[in-house]
Amino acid sequence: MSEKKNNQVSRRQFLNYTLTGVGGFMGAAVVAPMVGMAVDPLLKADGSDEYEYVMDVDEITTEPQRKTFYIDQQDGWYDTEAERTAWIYRDENGDILALSPICTHLGCVVDWETGDHDNEFYCPCHYGRYDKNGVNIPGTPPEGPLHAYEYRIEDGRLYLGRANPREGA
Amino acid sequence: MKWMHQDVQNYTKAKEYIDSAIMPLIPFSFENDDELSKLAYQHEVMQIFMTQIEKQLKGRVFLLPVYNYLKQNKLEDEYERLETVVNHVNEQPFKHIFLFTFDKKWRKYNSEIDAELIWLPAPQQGDLNQVETQQLVQSQVSEIEDLIKEQWGE
Repeated sequence: MSEKKNNQVSRRQFLNYTLTGVGGFMGAAVVAPMVGMAVDPLLKADGSDEYEYVMDVDEITTEPQRKTFYIDQQDGWYDTEAERTAWIYRDENGDILALSPICTHLGCVVDWETGDHDNEFYCPCHYGRYDKNGVNIPGTPPEGPLHAYEYRIEDGRLYLGRANPREGA
Repeated sequence: MKWMHQDVQNYTKAKEYIDSAIMPLIPFSFENDDELSKLAYQHEVMQIFMTQIEKQLKGRVFLLPVYNYLKQNKLEDEYERLETVVNHVNEQPFKHIFLFTFDKKWRKYNSEIDAELIWLPAPQQGDLNQVETQQLVQSQVSEIEDLIKEQWGE
């Protein structure tokens, strides 16, 4: 009789096992969403790799054209549609260049060929100048070239991503 | 530069370049229901002007917090308060201070105050989400910008 008992699970053991098991599931059910919420920001992809359609490739000329496009921007507390501007053209090698108009000195907006600045980008704030490739001209305040947008071409359409710093000349 | 944590840090590092302060003078009042929408609209347009100009000329212009006042306040008292603010900003030092307003009452202090007081004609009320209104506002922004650049050139 005692041998028989050894192979059997007692009522107490059975209850212990089942309650631990069920309790574990219940606990997990409560904790899992909390953990999920806590690490949620890490799981979300950041939106900075999105590309926006700006213009058709066959419209691009060797003369810089100013184009405006909108991206969704998460700015701490606000979800906003942010306006971006780019100067788009082909350089002397025929490569597409999409430059950000933000002066690398202190962030003013530069303009192409204003006043008597032929073939240059010009910053009205502290008279910074950049050549046609957006490279800062030594002796003027900016310390680096204008940032260039990452771009992608699909079906003859130009899409722009984020603007990155470039190496100085 | 704006009156914000990150911008202020940049400002302290590049003070010698940021020599211009801009500040909008914006009245408000609940006295008269008809006037509410007019004043609120002017406030909205002025805020757009200021943020756009700050965006274009970020590296040389510091956008100060709005100077708010009650529309029915005596302007003499208000002028005294404004003068204190202007003097304080002048001491920083800022070489140029531009005050922008739609309120024509300020014009009589034009010559007294130690700043460039720029009165703009109040805009016709319109829908700011409409393209035509936005174009109108944008063209005014570029004119204000030119005005500031002209002052720099002098």
